[in-house]
Amino acid sequence: MGDKKIEFGSYKEMPMCAMSVDDMLWNHTGSWRNVRPYYDPKTSPCRTGCPAGEDIQRYIFLVTEKHYKEGWETIMRSNPMPSVTGRVCFHPCMDKCTRGDYDQAVNIPAIERALGDMAFENYDWIVKTKASKKQKVAVVGGGPAGLSCAYYAAKLGYAVTIFEKEKALGGVLRWGIPEYRLPNDVLDKAVKVILDSGEIDVKTEQAIGRDFSLEDLKKKYDAVFIGIGLSRSRSLGIDGENMEGVEAGLEFLKSINSGKKVSQGKEVVVIGGGNTAMDVARTARRIGSNVTVVYRRTMNEMPAIRDEIEEAEREGVRFRFLATPASIARGKGGKLSVVFQEMQLGEPDESGRRRPVPVEGKTFTMDVDKLFTAIGEEAVLDGLDSVEQEWSLIKAASRFGDTNIDGVFAGGDVVTGAASVVEAVAAGRAAAEKIDRYFDGKEDPAPEEVRTVGFKDMNTAYFTHAKRNEVPRISPEEALSSFDEIYRGFDMALLHREADRCFSCGVCNYCDNCWIFCPDVAISRGENEYEINYDYCKGCLVCVTECPRSVISTREEGK
Amino acid sequence: MKPARIPEEEYMTSGHVACQGCGATQAMRFALKALGPKTALVIPACCWSVIDGPFPHSSLRVPLFHTAFEAAASTASGLKAGLEMRGDTETTVMAWAGDGGTFDIGIQSLSGAAERNEDIIYTCYDNEAYMNTGIQRSSSTPVGAWTTTTPVAHYKKRPKKKIIDIMAAHSIPYIATASVAFPEDFIRKFKKAKEIKGTRFIHVFAPCPTGWKLPPELSVAMARQAVTSKVFPLLEVTEHGKRWKVWKDFEPTPVRDYIKAQGRFRHLKDEEIKAIEEEVENNWQLLLAREQMSMNLPGLNKEDDDS
Amino acid sequence: MKKVIMGNHAVSYGVKASGVKVISAYPITPQTQIVELLSEMCANGEIDAKFIKVESEHSALTAVVGASAAGVRAFTATSSQGLLLMHEILHWAVGARLPIVLTNVNRSVGPPWSIWTDQNDSLSQRDTGWLQLYCESNQETQDTIVQAFKIAETVRLPVMLVLDAFFLSHTYEIVDILEPNDVKKFLPPYETDIRIDVEHPHAFGNLAGPDTYFELRFMIQKAMEEARDVVKKVDAEFKEHFGRGYGVVQPYRCDDADLILVTSGTIASTSRVIIDEMRDEGIKIGSLKIRLFRPFPFDEVYEVLSKAKKVAVIDRNISFGHHGIFFQEIKSALYGRTDVPIIGYIVGIGGRDVTPKVIREIAEKALNDENPERDINWIGVKM
Repeated sequence: MGDKKIEFGSYKEMPMCAMSVDDMLWNHTGSWRNVRPYYDPKTSPCRTGCPAGEDIQRYIFLVTEKHYKEGWETIMRSNPMPSVTGRVCFHPCMDKCTRGDYDQAVNIPAIERALGDMAFENYDWIVKTKASKKQKVAVVGGGPAGLSCAYYAAKLGYAVTIFEKEKALGGVLRWGIPEYRLPNDVLDKAVKVILDSGEIDVKTEQAIGRDFSLEDLKKKYDAVFIGIGLSRSRSLGIDGENMEGVEAGLEFLKSINSGKKVSQGKEVVVIGGGNTAMDVARTARRIGSNVTVVYRRTMNEMPAIRDEIEEAEREGVRFRFLATPASIARGKGGKLSVVFQEMQLGEPDESGRRRPVPVEGKTFTMDVDKLFTAIGEEAVLDGLDSVEQEWSLIKAASRFGDTNIDGVFAGGDVVTGAASVVEAVAAGRAAAEKIDRYFDGKEDPAPEEVRTVGFKDMNTAYFTHAKRNEVPRISPEEALSSFDEIYRGFDMALLHREADRCFSCGVCNYCDNCWIFCPDVAISRGENEYEINYDYCKGCLVCVTECPRSVISTREEGK
Repeated sequence: MKPARIPEEEYMTSGHVACQGCGATQAMRFALKALGPKTALVIPACCWSVIDGPFPHSSLRVPLFHTAFEAAASTASGLKAGLEMRGDTETTVMAWAGDGGTFDIGIQSLSGAAERNEDIIYTCYDNEAYMNTGIQRSSSTPVGAWTTTTPVAHYKKRPKKKIIDIMAAHSIPYIATASVAFPEDFIRKFKKAKEIKGTRFIHVFAPCPTGWKLPPELSVAMARQAVTSKVFPLLEVTEHGKRWKVWKDFEPTPVRDYIKAQGRFRHLKDEEIKAIEEEVENNWQLLLAREQMSMNLPGLNKEDDDS
Repeated sequence: MKKVIMGNHAVSYGVKASGVKVISAYPITPQTQIVELLSEMCANGEIDAKFIKVESEHSALTAVVGASAAGVRAFTATSSQGLLLMHEILHWAVGARLPIVLTNVNRSVGPPWSIWTDQNDSLSQRDTGWLQLYCESNQETQDTIVQAFKIAETVRLPVMLVLDAFFLSHTYEIVDILEPNDVKKFLPPYETDIRIDVEHPHAFGNLAGPDTYFELRFMIQKAMEEARDVVKKVDAEFKEHFGRGYGVVQPYRCDDADLILVTSGTIASTSRVIIDEMRDEGIKIGSLKIRLFRPFPFDEVYEVLSKAKKVAVIDRNISFGHHGIFFQEIKSALYGRTDVPIIGYIVGIGGRDVTPKVIREIAEKALNDENPERDINWIGVKM
């Protein structure tokens, strides 16, 4: 029907009265249009906020559609350990979440964690990729960077061997993060998921520079990835530092995490303001100590995850800001007598934070049983002299982790210095992909041009205010009495309630609005997309306005 | 793709000649999706007399009879009677009129049909003026609005006629308001109306970008704001005019925003807008009071009938 | 079965006999008894029809238009102001090509209020495209209703049947009542493909541009022209079935007439009394009743009137600023075909009685005046 207007040559061809005999489809109202709408998906800001570039919008959308497996697979394309990051990540994604400008950011890590954990119960989701390629990859270091590199290299079809210095894989995840944040069994399962996803061989208690050399690896493997992280605590550089009772926080955590008995001090002071400081302080609380964290700047400048600071406070950790230890001596009753120099904030340093400067002549003393240092870690670069270094870290030639040595790559904290799990994961993946290109002699991809949308682009009429759903937790009292995981994760109802809060910024989630509101029936609803029929679209742009998430863009006709 | 939010079948096709962003066409599309193919339309003089397209063409896939301006309800009464006498008791006959054809010239035949409780759906798609003739005031034009016959120097001083009150006074079985901005609610009401016998009156708010001096892309947004600012409450009147139910589950938006977005109100001064805001609030309170009153009537079912 | 009934009830019986499915009407004197009886017949099941009791004549006709659009036989009746209120929809019914039958009881138009007869209400609807048939007796009225449906459905145009207020509407005469079952053979149930039908959806009455409207109007005129023969054919068929026929015009003793009186409605029968009386006196006089006014029966009128020496047209109506309307029509029908003098007389407006004496006065004036005022002569005006 209807591609031509009916013209009558004679009254004899006409019905006796004005009766329609055809539709109006001949009337191509598209010619009225000045401005053309077109589907133009953009990137959700959360995705740009995620160092690993997780397609957060997509997996949350897939959750809303009850396509959990596809949701999990979506995460796994960027991050092979959602169960881990869902628990310990500092979730910069949430800072970017558009919903934060509306009411509260979506609880992205809780959803990530739920999907990650779901895979443990649905083990058929895990598919072992065969090593289809002839090259072999060695990964030195079984922490987040190494595991990530191993996973993606295996997924790309390479046989991978991980060399881990300790008895078990996990690195900082295992030794540096207390169980109440990341239970060992979760980590074990997460590692198992990775190892079961490809041909990955693991050699434990194998340290580079001790048990083998880089040259050994170069001979046996076509590419080597170094992701050994930072394994040595920084020293304070003050008098009395080597006294008994002064201990590296990381060592303390490692002992606790491996189930060793540790001597308990009644009064404990922790030096530092990062996550390790928080972990040390809270762990010490759990074994019955009174804990004071001393930090040389103020709470605002603390690098620790905000939630961790709050939890520490909740668990009775005391804070003393603007002070730094100046000397340690043996005091009365075998206690440590720690003299602190009071500080004030001066001009901002290169990190943008205000630099702490001593207040002349102002000190105070604390008598404690133990002092834990948590002022940062440094790399142990034994056996890596041939690799170019800078600031006692490995120098990467590009964001993909290639080094000065052909076939040797590096990533994670050993390149960046102390950073986050998710950044290490990202570096591991980038290196795996780089290794793949290296074998094939392929060019690096150009940086992606990313267009994100913001709160002002949303049509909030389609959203209703709803508080963020928080992950259920055990009480602070219960938390303090054991190393049980504090946060218990979403049940399905909570998972869906929270997933439904996602605006799906810039990305179509098939809400139907464009199709529904088109006054010209010019938008069709296909199997997996909508399509604008420009023969009829008059360019009213109602679809553009009514798209809640700014997926449809416009351009002037003829331009 | 997930299941569609509203029925996928289309009974209105592309190629119709409505202006860009026309609310009246969205309304028709939704109404027919709800009522389905066994629907016959009676359309008096109104925008839809033109929108459907010129003879021998039509953009609707249901039969349609054009009638004189004041005659929608009476023609529909006759059409329904005729179909029934042919043995067709299934077809829903719907009069589809603008605000002029309903509030003004057609109110007599509408009142007659409603009093007789004719088995028809009467839909008024309200764009708040005589748009088809080029934007002249009707008794549905809101107070304060500019039209070509209420120029800025002498804008409309009288409030919009309360058609729902008038229809409720006819004790018909079903009355509802619906907005093109709320398609699911819109379709639910038409589906509900379809199952009821007797005269069903549905007052549809259908923005006219052309006549309201509004960018067409804001058409649906205005319809939505009319509801959320309480200018056009969504409601149902059942139990033959006695049970009133008003939709309140929305995040309210200011009347001022609604007024300010439209060119037809551009001339209004602050105190005039204030007066409109007060009037809107008063009407809303009256409506709520009426709803409350209707809850306590003896002999009426206290439960919600469906929704 | 024969019954003594009033003219209005003859209409009702005609409607009953026609198997009408939808009736809609609004009360107005002197038409009221038509719908009262129909209402009763519908209520007691004598007629299987829906009666829509509307709030105005405008709605009455639009309801009937709606029903007819659904493809059923539909009827309404009105008078005077009511017909004028229907005016818009009279046009609509024609444009939509709906075979509606309407009875108009001729009544004067206000102000001042008058309930008595004249033809200005129906004749002012002359150009709407309705067929118009003027009846003279209750029997003819009943029979014409049945014929009207058949004509209407054949040519797809509405038919208006007209009778005089009181002189016919309220006058009791013997009528041979038609039985619906007998009529069915003559007028089978109405069927049409051009109707509102969800199985075959069409839009009716969409905007027509100058490129199509002209032809649509041309087809109405063609249908009207066709109707001239259809009316005759239907009448002949009716006669075959029921033994009664009325023609499109009815000449009476016209063959050798020096003067022919042109009449319509009840004046036709009054005139025949005077014609017989004057014939007995040796005066060669006859009459021609115009039954079919639209389409106008040019040839039939010419054939009769061209043989006369003089023609006197008696009009119970007036086109202000012009002449009697039948006079105009006769004059235009004969223009260029014959030189027979035509004289116009205006009588009986507002229901003033047109007695045999008035007819005789007209006949004598027409026969004897050496130089009569040709075009318009008001009879009985109190000067």
